[in-house]
Amino acid sequence: MASRCVKLLFSFLFISLVSFSVIRLIPGDPAQSLIGERGASAERIAEIKKNLGLDQPITIQYLKFLKNALAGDFGESISSKQPVMQEFKILWPATFELSVIALLWSSIVGLVLGILAAIRRNSFFDYTAVSLSTVGFAMPLFWWGLIVIFFFAVRLGWFPISGRIDVIFDVPYVTGFYFIDTLAAKNYDAFLSAIRFIILPAFVLGTIPLALIVRVTRSAVIDIAKEDFIRTAKAKGLSPAKIIIKHILKNAWPQILTALGLALGHLLTGAIMTETLFSWPGVGRWIVQSIMARDYPVVQAGLFYSMAIIIFINFLTDEMIKFINPRLKDKSI
Amino acid sequence: MIKEILKNKSLFIGAILFSFFALVCVTSLFWTPFDPKEIFDGAALLPPNDKFYFGTDDLGRDLFSRLVVGSQLSIGIGLIVGGISVFIGASTGLIAAYFGNKVDHYLTQVMNALQAMPSLLLALFVVAILGPSIFNTILSVTLVSIPIMYRLVRSAGQIEKSKDYVMSAKAVGAGHFRIIKSHLLPNCLTPILVQTAVCCSEAILNIAALGFLGLGIPAPYPEWGTMLSDSKNLMQTSPHLMILPGLCLLFLILSTQLISDGLRDQLDPKLRSR
Repeated sequence: MASRCVKLLFSFLFISLVSFSVIRLIPGDPAQSLIGERGASAERIAEIKKNLGLDQPITIQYLKFLKNALAGDFGESISSKQPVMQEFKILWPATFELSVIALLWSSIVGLVLGILAAIRRNSFFDYTAVSLSTVGFAMPLFWWGLIVIFFFAVRLGWFPISGRIDVIFDVPYVTGFYFIDTLAAKNYDAFLSAIRFIILPAFVLGTIPLALIVRVTRSAVIDIAKEDFIRTAKAKGLSPAKIIIKHILKNAWPQILTALGLALGHLLTGAIMTETLFSWPGVGRWIVQSIMARDYPVVQAGLFYSMAIIIFINFLTDEMIKFINPRLKDKSI
Repeated sequence: MIKEILKNKSLFIGAILFSFFALVCVTSLFWTPFDPKEIFDGAALLPPNDKFYFGTDDLGRDLFSRLVVGSQLSIGIGLIVGGISVFIGASTGLIAAYFGNKVDHYLTQVMNALQAMPSLLLALFVVAILGPSIFNTILSVTLVSIPIMYRLVRSAGQIEKSKDYVMSAKAVGAGHFRIIKSHLLPNCLTPILVQTAVCCSEAILNIAALGFLGLGIPAPYPEWGTMLSDSKNLMQTSPHLMILPGLCLLFLILSTQLISDGLRDQLDPKLRSR
């Protein structure tokens, strides 16, 4: 455990180095490219360099960056002139809310479908579930999003095309989570509106995790159902439900958890596309827009956070798997 | 052998689908119904008809020809990226597995950091810094797929390295390069082959995703992702512009994934009974 924590620390140092190098990797003078093609006076360039701290030796720059990053200070966004951290604080609940809903529905539906497909192996249901999950896993998310928007929002008009909540509602910012904020304000119409707006993006975002979870759950359950102790459990006369829940699922958890960790990684990448497609005001869309606008402080922070989150998720899933299945403790995964 | 492949449904269907795309791609090098860049006056946004099989786009260009020529980009770049990432990923993976210790430690750190970034974000970032072009697209998408290959080959190589035959090769006095090339590599071929197909499918997807976000292969080339992005605002009047390129993309990616699934089942006997 201790050595893994040290490794985690090293990973964080490394990603801080990567996100630090970002501004310095741009060919040419970053200050010049920030100003644009029209050019600027030497004083203006010097001023920008001073603001970005580019006039100091590179080691000092890095240490300063590290110190500020630890305090959550990534400088000011170039386009909005707001501190990057403040923008991030406003935007992350939107992404978190969307991801949680997507992960919830996909893992619940995925687990149930996976178990059912494994129980009725080689049935029509199993074949359908397996083929659909194969197609789902290959699905280009941006196209799937377009198709879903086309049918459910444009043709049928059941759901709104883009945004997070109807413009007529003014939700006071408390936590940033619309589900909590609207309920706290006792504004139930706004709550329903928030639900209507989240359904399509959450559906699209959850598609690939769903396919992944169905596949992994199915093959894990099939694998474990072959083991001797399951035969013993059957011979003891346990009910099928008890066998599945107490014996099979308990042993299938490590594999399913690994898949969930992987699914989280997919969610982060997927959030970039889904948020761009549905104009969802979250972190993914913010990072894409900043990359396009060459808003480097924002990109730096975005890179740092997304890498940190993924590394942390990987660490957590590894530890949880070891906790559930102590036999794996000695092996490094 | 052939009978076994016929039994392996994933590999069979995947191979047929992929050969179909490959055939279309090769044919399009010599012949297309129309020039994909030719603009027909007064023929903009036509639905599929007798003259234009798949209809025309907003400028009046033949969609069928554009799709067919677009397959060259997706398949060609997909294969190039697959090839390069196999070469770099597998060789670094084998080197790390063979030498271990510090070499392994540093290589793994670098690859972990590369892998920690969401692949699309990394690719986007590289293209945003260097500017959109075919070369930069290849570079960014390759960079994303190397660490995955590295990880797999490294863990396969570590298992092989501890086996007796490597020890005896060392005892006979074989050099490092020789052991890696003629002992480790052939025995790690299964994960490498499977992962190559995965790399190709990821590459095809990422190229299209970059195109969709407007940072892909620049304009005159008919790239599927860019075509999808152009169709966004026309979905109400001409849904065929949105549906058809996406279907091509889906089936191409599906074919490579089926091939990789099938290869794994075929080459790894432990999994065959599933």
